[in-house]
Amino acid sequence: MERRGFLKAGTAGFASLMAGTGLLSWSPRSQAATISKTYYVTAGTQTMPDGVSVYVKGFSDSAADLNVPATPIICQEGDTLSITVINRLSVTHNLVIGGLKAGDPPLASTGDIAAGGSKTLTYTIPTGKAGSYLFYDNKTSYNVLLGLHGGLAIMPAGKTDELYSGSPKFKENKQLFWIFNDIDPVLNRAVQQGTAIPTNLTPRYFTINGQTSLPPGAVGFDDPTRDAMANPMTKLEGLVGDRTLVRMLNAGMCSHAVHTHANHMEWLTDRGTVRPQVWKKDTLYLRNHLGKIDAIFPFEAPPDAYPPVTHGHFPMHLHDEMSQTAGGGMYMFGAMTEIIYK
Amino acid sequence: MGMKGGGGGGGMGSACYVYPGTPATPGRVTPDVTFRRGIYMNGSMTFDDGNSVPIWGFTDLDAGQGQMDGMGGGSFPSPAIRVTEGQIVHTELTVGMMWMHTIHHHGIEPSTENDGVGHLSWDVTGGTYTYQWQPKHAGTYFYHCHTNTPLHAEMGMYGGLIVDPKPTPGDPAGTKRAFYNGPIYDAEAIWVADEIDPAFHSLPWYAGTCGGDVGLNNLNPQYFIITGVDGANSALTHPGVAVTMPLGQTLLARYICAGFHPQKIDFGGLTVSVVASDGRPLPAAWQTQAIEAHSAERYDCIIKPTSRGTWTVTVQFLHWRTGAVMGTARTRINVI
Ligand SMILES: [Cu+2]
Ligand SMILES: [Cu+2]
Repeated sequence: MERRGFLKAGTAGFASLMAGTGLLSWSPRSQAATISKTYYVTAGTQTMPDGVSVYVKGFSDSAADLNVPATPIICQEGDTLSITVINRLSVTHNLVIGGLKAGDPPLASTGDIAAGGSKTLTYTIPTGKAGSYLFYDNKTSYNVLLGLHGGLAIMPAGKTDELYSGSPKFKENKQLFWIFNDIDPVLNRAVQQGTAIPTNLTPRYFTINGQTSLPPGAVGFDDPTRDAMANPMTKLEGLVGDRTLVRMLNAGMCSHAVHTHANHMEWLTDRGTVRPQVWKKDTLYLRNHLGKIDAIFPFEAPPDAYPPVTHGHFPMHLHDEMSQTAGGGMYMFGAMTEIIYK
Repeated sequence: MGMKGGGGGGGMGSACYVYPGTPATPGRVTPDVTFRRGIYMNGSMTFDDGNSVPIWGFTDLDAGQGQMDGMGGGSFPSPAIRVTEGQIVHTELTVGMMWMHTIHHHGIEPSTENDGVGHLSWDVTGGTYTYQWQPKHAGTYFYHCHTNTPLHAEMGMYGGLIVDPKPTPGDPAGTKRAFYNGPIYDAEAIWVADEIDPAFHSLPWYAGTCGGDVGLNNLNPQYFIITGVDGANSALTHPGVAVTMPLGQTLLARYICAGFHPQKIDFGGLTVSVVASDGRPLPAAWQTQAIEAHSAERYDCIIKPTSRGTWTVTVQFLHWRTGAVMGTARTRINVI
């Protein structure tokens, strides 16, 4: 049993996410810097849209927080990351930064962190590592599914508007993460109770940046602390021309089809590898087992409107529609967010 | 609360988080082309093993199909919508008061009101809504219902949507191109690959919307189909699916991944030239013998066999979590 630090997700800690624009804000530096961050491994429960409480773990901002996913880190090539992880739980954990490309070894790892202990990971980022990363716990195959994950954005040195040096450009400070997860409470309960870990999982909840969408009329609708359609960390909001970089990371167990309405996306990378050409896609195949995609949502006027429009509300949803449900029903309570043309 | 119900009468039941409406179309103009769609909720599909499942879909009112056909439903997939880029299109959707549905023209990017997403606009019930749009990009699309989508799309509420390019100047009449100034083709196939879980096909249209576990998170398909035809055997020879073409001709195969699980299509040893995806030309054609795709992706494949023969095209349906092959659907290209 893991009872230490039993918390409610999505309460404290969210304030820090709400600071600023909600997007990943970034000012380039001519000098490399040391980026220091401390995460606390905490556990508690998160209430799903059907009222079911699910045991989750997070890399949290304080011992009193439970953040799923972790507060993201943004830095640039040449910086030194100094990430301290304090394990508040009663089993061993770790934090690894996944490799840039599929099959690459992790960039860095804390190594095992015993119950109650702490470790600091120090890593100086070489040139050529600009991109999007998932950091997560790989002490077990399932810790990442419990919520122990977060996004790391490494910018090319001195750049504000490129994914990698020379990439298609997005608008300064218009970038965010979409981190997807799939939850089968049977797994979470087994971890909580210390019973045998099931292998044949059937996810029942589907999240984007730790939340589900909540449609009009639902409790919590339009509340950014609860509704993925309203969360400024997640929703795409802009004016025509606000080209936005979306860093998609799959922490979950299922492959997903990421579908935007209103515009096709410019597909830049798949699993860390730069695509040989930029394809324009309304649906992107985001692989499971830590798959990732970088794409630019161009925020052009929706091309097929008549009369033409420059304002509107549209969804981004996963097209593997099982992911748009909660607890086996409740369509629209899944991994979806909103695209808003202001 | 989100409890809205919507209309009444037998079969209505109670639905939650639905947004009934049939307002006037903003900025409505006289269209270049109109498609009049009703719905059917009483179709069926029989598989090669003799079993059948209920199917829902859209009807073509102009072809005399009903808006709530009581006599066995309409076609599956639903009748295709085929337009030319630049046309102003009306898709009129008429739905009885017992049900709610929408039409989302997948990959077409119109205004919010015409996008067919219930919670951001309305679910059509007890009347007609006219979706107005003007496609700007030739290519392969599909249309489907966006109400309780995990159920309604699985039930079969989809059809092909093809946007043909404007004629390229200098082309002889009848020249067919994949997109403006794009590759010329002679023969065409539309392969809509989908999987069917019979457990979904006994549910009411509003299933799960008020909560409760109706299994919509867990699609366990038993049948694997191409363009409404069982891919176990029938699609190998069905004239609407299998291709027979003379040597020397060029085939445009429009592959639409219409299921919810990932797929892999293999062209049986033929190398295809993928010239477009999701209604956009690729910057350079991609030569391949197989394509991995996920739900709603489309790939336009130019195929020019260099000898007579028969090639078997196989679609594998891969479980979204395990990646295991759940089943396959097959058709053929016969070059004579
Ligand atoms: Cu429907
Ligand atoms: Cu769609």
